[in-house]
Amino acid sequence: MLTKIKNWLDVRIGLNTIFQTHVLDYRMPKNTNLLYTLGFLAVIAYATQAFTGIILLIYYIPHPDHAFRSVQDIMTQVPYGWVFRQMHAVGSNLMIMVAMLHMVTVFLMGNYKRPRELTWVGGVLLLILTIVFGLSGYLLPWTQLSYWATTVVTSMPTAFPVIGETVSQILRGGDHVSETTLSRFFALHISILPPLYLLFMGIHLFFVNRIGISATPFGKADEEKRPLTEYKRKTYPDGYPYYPRFFQKQMYMMMAYFTVMFFIITFLPTLYFPDEANVPADPFNTPQEVRPAWYLLAPYQLLKLIPNKFFGIMLQLILVLIFILWPVLDTQQEKNVLKRPVLRGVFLSLIALWVILLWWGRS
Amino acid sequence: MRGIMRYGILSWILLFLLPSLGTAGYKKDFEDAFLTKPWAGEQIEENVCISCHASQTMKPEFQEITEAWQASWHAQNRISCEHCHGGDPRDAALAMSPQRGFLGTPKDKDVPEFCGKCHIGILTNFLESGHGKALKAGKKAPNCVVCHGSHNIQKASIDIISEQLCTKCHSYERAKIMKVALFVIETRISQLEQRLQKLKREGIYPGADEKSLFSTQAEFRTLFHTVDANLVRSRTDEFTSKLDQIDKNIQDTYQKLRFRKNLSAFFMMAFACMGVIIFLLTKTKDE
Repeated sequence: MLTKIKNWLDVRIGLNTIFQTHVLDYRMPKNTNLLYTLGFLAVIAYATQAFTGIILLIYYIPHPDHAFRSVQDIMTQVPYGWVFRQMHAVGSNLMIMVAMLHMVTVFLMGNYKRPRELTWVGGVLLLILTIVFGLSGYLLPWTQLSYWATTVVTSMPTAFPVIGETVSQILRGGDHVSETTLSRFFALHISILPPLYLLFMGIHLFFVNRIGISATPFGKADEEKRPLTEYKRKTYPDGYPYYPRFFQKQMYMMMAYFTVMFFIITFLPTLYFPDEANVPADPFNTPQEVRPAWYLLAPYQLLKLIPNKFFGIMLQLILVLIFILWPVLDTQQEKNVLKRPVLRGVFLSLIALWVILLWWGRS
Repeated sequence: MRGIMRYGILSWILLFLLPSLGTAGYKKDFEDAFLTKPWAGEQIEENVCISCHASQTMKPEFQEITEAWQASWHAQNRISCEHCHGGDPRDAALAMSPQRGFLGTPKDKDVPEFCGKCHIGILTNFLESGHGKALKAGKKAPNCVVCHGSHNIQKASIDIISEQLCTKCHSYERAKIMKVALFVIETRISQLEQRLQKLKREGIYPGADEKSLFSTQAEFRTLFHTVDANLVRSRTDEFTSKLDQIDKNIQDTYQKLRFRKNLSAFFMMAFACMGVIIFLLTKTKDE
């Protein structure tokens, strides 16, 4: 039966050819490591979020009077609703971690260098979209935690003169986080961001496929040094086939991802749900500690530390801009970051600064 | 071309960064507003009762009122000055105007009705009690604030019934009998409150049980204000069965949580095992 279906499809869309070209004959560089699977892992994370999100969407009610109750119903009344909710909540944090780790490893391996500038830019935009995904989804359960964290985050643009208040008002749909904000964030989360993310993911994967995968500089430095005068797809005729070796690596990482996810759900179920996350939002009762989600803690702490808010927000926007345009700014040919002490120093300092700010913001 | 792009971007960044530094101080007002305003914006309107009473123009004993209230159970539940005393906390000129419903400080015998605006059930039972009847007859008797305090009211507990307090007016014997009668239910209520709090920390919001416990507790405490130990004893079973139901609900929820933990642990193990199998497969192929 299966063979019949396969043959039926093959004569119509050339299934065997697709499988042969893109799976069996597709060659990977010999020195690829597990870190090369992080992009694939980000796709898996997105698919998991989409699937669990659709299940939650069936029961969730995006209204301040019902949002909290509906999420509680998902947790307590809907059969196995808690699995999907926990997977979605834990998955959102893991997805951001995976995307960040992917960017860091690509940066460390110098794989953003020409001719892959556009792939890098697409990747950074995807990371930003992932964070916006997290931010917009954070408000939806309408808890004390989500309400006040969103209040803090939507206050951040007010540091920007002239247009800051307007930006904040557009985000909130008024002076305060309200029913309108919930509607806006809900629409953003479920109908604007998903297709946008898919579009950017498609573009990103198109670039990866079109230019060819880059080889890591940690092993054999086999990146071509030719002048960039014409398009040429990087291939590895002497590399190993994608299937089964690299595919196994991907599957291995996927299992590790879900193991970590269910480890958190089993043993640390309240890791992303502090006490305020279990209390309905109360706009008239400000909690003792108001802070955004962990991935926005560092920028938030930096903004609090710099006395001039305008400078603080500009500095952050410029850092993001530098991050996006880094392949254009970094003209050194050397890919291996271990052979570039200055870049290595700056990078490690930035990571350390980010961790310190995050920790500081938490305490 | 590449050099032009690189310097172009750097110039563009400088173009934005320098004006931001240069013009950083020009909006002092904006900064002050940003730093001093609560992050949420001005959600809580200014209360003129508090600002006036806390000011240096007031006598020290009046100033203490705001501090006492801020530390109270009422303040935690956002019961403010106007809810008891009437008046308009948003209008300094008419804050204490009778036209805006200002009641001022009640006389001793009027205190039960003053508090009873909200604590309706308790008022009814109190007025039927020996305490209430004596108060209304103009005899020496306690009103609400004698036991609960006025502005620094804390969450009521069985500990209010104490030898120190009760012996101010009469012997402690009868009060002790009442305290013993209350003890079983009060202790149970307090244990259930703690378990509900723990459940919340586990990620479950037991709203219905919380409401049920609150109303049971309120009803029970209403009963106490009759100061009739026999009545409390006769209805103890009724309250016990209500608390049993809440207890059962909590136990059921804990059982569900245990099942969840086991199921997610199973998923974790399943994925981990599949990961190990794939890893071993990779090694087999390599060999």
